[in-house]
Amino acid sequence: MVIGGGIGGMRAALDLAEVGLKVYLVEQTPCLGGRVAQLGFMFPQHDCVLCRGTADHGYGCTRPSISPAYIQHNQHPNIEILTLTRVTDVAGQAGDFTVSLRQEPRYVEVSRCINCGYCAQVCPVELPDSYQRGLTLRKAAYKVAARATPDAYVIDYGPYCEGCGKCAEVCPTGAINLRDQPRLLTVEVGAIILALGFQVFNPKGLEELGFGRYVNVLEAMQYERLASRSGPTEGIIQRPSDHKKPRSILWLQCVGSRDQETPYCSSICCMFATKEAILAKQRLGKEVECTVFNMDERAFNKEYSRYFARARNEYGIRYVHCRLSGIYEDPQTKDLIVHYATPNGKKVSERFEMVVLATGLQPSAAARELTSILGIEQNEFGFCQTDKFVPLQTSRPGVFVCGAFSSPKEIAETILDASGAAAEVMRLLNDRLNVYRFSHEAPFLSSEDFPPERDISSEPVRVGVFTCTCAGTLCKTLDLKAITHQAASWEGVEIAQLLDLACFPHGLRQIQTTIQEQRLNRIVIGACSNRTHDSLFQKTVRAAGLNPYLLEVVNLQQQCSGVHLSQTDLANRKAREMLRMAVARVSLAKPVLKERHVCYPAALVIGGGVAGMTAALAIADSGYEVHLVERAEMLGGSLLNLYYVAEGYNPQRLLRDLVNRVLAHTRIQVYTRTEVARHRGHVGDFRSTLHTSLPDGRTISTEVRHGVTIIATGGREAHEHPWLRLPGVITQRQLEEMIIHEPQKVAVWKNVVMIQCVGTEGMAKYCSRVCCTNTMKNAIRLRLFNPGCQVTVLYRNIVTYGFRERYYTEARQRGVLFVRWLDELPPQVFYDEQRGRPIVRVRDLALDRWLEICADVVPLSVSVVPADGSAALARRLRLPLSSEGFFEEAQLKLRPMDFMREGIFLAGMAAYPKFLEESITHALAAAGRALTLLTQKSLYLGGVVAYVDPQKCVGCLTCTRICPFGIPQVIQPTEWLEMHSEHGDESSYANLPSRHQRMRAGVGGLGGAAFIDPAQCQGCGTCTGECPANAIQLTHYTDEQMMLRPIRGLGAWLSEPIH
Amino acid sequence: MVERTYPLVQPIALVERAMAEDFEPQITAFYCIYCGYMAADTAGILHIQYPANVKFVRLPCTGKTDIRYILEAFEQGADGVYLVACPIGNCHHVRGNERGWARVKRAKKILDEIGLGGERLEMFFMSGSQGGAFAIAAQTMTERIRRMGPNPIRLSEVRAGRPDTETEKEDSEEVDFRGRRSKKSG
Repeated sequence: MVIGGGIGGMRAALDLAEVGLKVYLVEQTPCLGGRVAQLGFMFPQHDCVLCRGTADHGYGCTRPSISPAYIQHNQHPNIEILTLTRVTDVAGQAGDFTVSLRQEPRYVEVSRCINCGYCAQVCPVELPDSYQRGLTLRKAAYKVAARATPDAYVIDYGPYCEGCGKCAEVCPTGAINLRDQPRLLTVEVGAIILALGFQVFNPKGLEELGFGRYVNVLEAMQYERLASRSGPTEGIIQRPSDHKKPRSILWLQCVGSRDQETPYCSSICCMFATKEAILAKQRLGKEVECTVFNMDERAFNKEYSRYFARARNEYGIRYVHCRLSGIYEDPQTKDLIVHYATPNGKKVSERFEMVVLATGLQPSAAARELTSILGIEQNEFGFCQTDKFVPLQTSRPGVFVCGAFSSPKEIAETILDASGAAAEVMRLLNDRLNVYRFSHEAPFLSSEDFPPERDISSEPVRVGVFTCTCAGTLCKTLDLKAITHQAASWEGVEIAQLLDLACFPHGLRQIQTTIQEQRLNRIVIGACSNRTHDSLFQKTVRAAGLNPYLLEVVNLQQQCSGVHLSQTDLANRKAREMLRMAVARVSLAKPVLKERHVCYPAALVIGGGVAGMTAALAIADSGYEVHLVERAEMLGGSLLNLYYVAEGYNPQRLLRDLVNRVLAHTRIQVYTRTEVARHRGHVGDFRSTLHTSLPDGRTISTEVRHGVTIIATGGREAHEHPWLRLPGVITQRQLEEMIIHEPQKVAVWKNVVMIQCVGTEGMAKYCSRVCCTNTMKNAIRLRLFNPGCQVTVLYRNIVTYGFRERYYTEARQRGVLFVRWLDELPPQVFYDEQRGRPIVRVRDLALDRWLEICADVVPLSVSVVPADGSAALARRLRLPLSSEGFFEEAQLKLRPMDFMREGIFLAGMAAYPKFLEESITHALAAAGRALTLLTQKSLYLGGVVAYVDPQKCVGCLTCTRICPFGIPQVIQPTEWLEMHSEHGDESSYANLPSRHQRMRAGVGGLGGAAFIDPAQCQGCGTCTGECPANAIQLTHYTDEQMMLRPIRGLGAWLSEPIH
Repeated sequence: MVERTYPLVQPIALVERAMAEDFEPQITAFYCIYCGYMAADTAGILHIQYPANVKFVRLPCTGKTDIRYILEAFEQGADGVYLVACPIGNCHHVRGNERGWARVKRAKKILDEIGLGGERLEMFFMSGSQGGAFAIAAQTMTERIRRMGPNPIRLSEVRAGRPDTETEKEDSEEVDFRGRRSKKSG
């Protein structure tokens, strides 16, 4: 059971469903999506691209879902969504829980709601819209968002609803029942994942900021809605007081974080404020002045530092380090006036037209209630208590946690947590994996068995056209009877029928019977949105023995009747035209089948550090073989040099524990002193050559076969900086070693100066995320150990995000001095020969002069850089690297553990510097994702993909350049074939017919033609539009299907009247 | 540029101007199944009204846009063509919409050269939730085409009295035309 239907819960539920477990997804609001559904854009790429959340292909935007598996009628067969539901009691233990639930009535039967919206039209009650954060009104009969899951209206039958019953009267399908009662349910589950999310801090309590009193003071979520394309203004930013575009906007950071009441950092506000400021610049033009008042800039992930730099340099956003005591309103203009002090103590007052409070994150009230029901521990801040080395487990066995309920988190980390928690559940319930079967064979998800497909290759085209009045709602505009009658006379059309409700069981049955009676082999359905109903009709057609690609759905509802209410004639003409095109297109359609592949049940994990070992254990514990490759002599990676952590746990204990478990595991094969020399194949069937160098200089080569690959190559401290060659200048890691191994030396130090953000040459280009907390840890240790020693930290920004803020506070309480330096004036380090000690010079901003400090030792926080050989490995596996040199995932936010190349996953510091707990989570997430493939008995690849006609291909490389995913390759005939013949006896692989396995040669007998791997192709068709030789066609979108020449369907319109 | 004469386009005669008076533009719009389709869907859900002069063709991504399809639409008689894509940077296929945009620009040039006018072709970028923007796109194009008048190719066909057939003759040339090549053997 997954509790919480936000993005984390949805991700976890999906991963669990994919490994064949039954999942209950419990959400207390009427629809899924959580906070992320309310966001217009995500930093740092300004994506919405929730559609890129999985590799699945779906029709249209899946918002607020993250995958087509949440779209109605295509819902994953293993997921049961329970909305408006709360957990009332949990009994039992890990592996065997009994959960009691209470489901509040929705008053609308989801399966009967056709989203006509009549109920909302007649509803007399208006309420503030919580989805739009109170910026607009909604009715009591409403739909949370235009596209919600479940896709249906809901009646808010609160005390404000008079129960007039108009909605029930007007509903054309009788879906509304105002006498609906709450349901009590009991379900048995093996494990529970908490994805309870957060609530936004309510700034009303901070009266000095005027939120709620001054109309132009907004909280961040309200601004998000204003800037969102689905917001009340379609993304035009306006001042609430006069609906004018503001000319100056101020963001106020750390509202509800890093103060006396909430001593932790909310982690995401620095980034989202910058995003919001950039959005303001983009929407309102360069002249709008954007100012951000902050304490530190916490940009601690991939590309984030660059994002800040862009905000500052390209967009001209002003950052001021200060904290405000209050905001005042000018009663006439409703402008807001603030007084603040600059770093050197000067007092300034400024006027802004709008103020946005970057509000922090808090655990939600419902979450607190649930923790007491579950009996799990909370930490001092009210979030879920977890252990550093098992970051996804709560204090109750079998109950796991993910997302912002364990600590303030952004989307990417929530997704990692979710997949990681799913992996923990897979490990726990490893005997129950794959019990609930389903298949990806068709374009829709299904657990049903279908009759064999009819072979239609020799049949003449017999099209059936079905149109749906949608309970009469379409007939207001369209004369469907006449159109249907006319359609019957078009070429190829065998029968045209008008249905009342095509998507209801009786309508579907009628379609199926007609297909069988008339022996139809092509179907056109003129009804509802393709997004929601394609999969339903595909399923119907498939059940009647036809390939689902022999169907076209025309959206008469949203594209004709709904949007042309007053232009009946033209709307009819358009509807007829759309149906005519669909008939022509479907007549040319051919069955599309995916290729079936067997997933080889083993994994290759590259890198034997904490991430690699964790991932290997998670996969092996779930029942699959693992090959663990480590380049060094022993397992451990960066963990070998980590002696203590800020939280006080012992990392060496973790190391011993992991190594012992890995070495003793019967399903893990460890290869030390080994590198991956060659890696080929595709998801489900990779083959790698491993080279092991023996101590005597010989090299052994091993060939391994595996279904998935996990990259966990880690990172290391950069040690190239010239300062490190000066005596007395060391790295933080060396300091840690000295504190542990040479305490006698440490005891005599009088003065230690730590410098943050040191890069490989100058100062660091990007934030390495872990160093600030590491510095706090060592500074506190030093002060405890040697209170006479003065510790000074020279920093740019202190990035102690989340609960780590308390170590910053503790360090200051223990008397550690902090001196900020600016990018323009970095500190300098010399060596004083006479005194035999290093000297540090730094510009003090408060005093505005240079300070010179003579130190006993100068520990540097140096950047974490990717492990040596990462670039070579990336080339070997054809994987991209980020601008910092780390491996680049498929999508920074939504697929942080996947690569674009399917079957390869990313874990740990190979992605970016990470704390131990984050590496463990990342590794679990990668393992969880890998398991979703390993557990599948068969993988279905291909489908709607591009294929190259090798006879036409001239090998010009245009497609290799143009492909957004770098999939086409011009290769010699072919590695693949080689591979299949070598291992032909091992699986059913070689027997599979595939046009891609044939020998290829270019024009004129020259070897080599472009090859597009159907296992990787994403089916966008970009290459087909550019190929100069017209050698590439996209399945299901071939030129003839697009151009519709026989009826001139692409350009010409029928002109005769409809009646 | 390749030399080629286009016999199709002639100035619109006065009679035909008159015919264009109550002329209802016939526009073909291509949209991608991500944001483009979704914007249409949103407009439908919210009942945002726009002219019914546009018929839609779906593409898996506007990266699939082929100059041949655009030209084919005009040749078949469309008065205008436009594309609806995800916002730049937000393409499901990373940068398919940018490729599509490059091709639209190239096609506009061709349309200018042959005298049809690049104005008859346009591309719009919008997010899936922008039902309003989708309606405005349809509105803009319908008004623009109404102003520009019918597609001269269609008119010349009406005049020559050949309504709906006979395109085969030009096919072998058109199929391979991509704005940089004119002919291909075979």
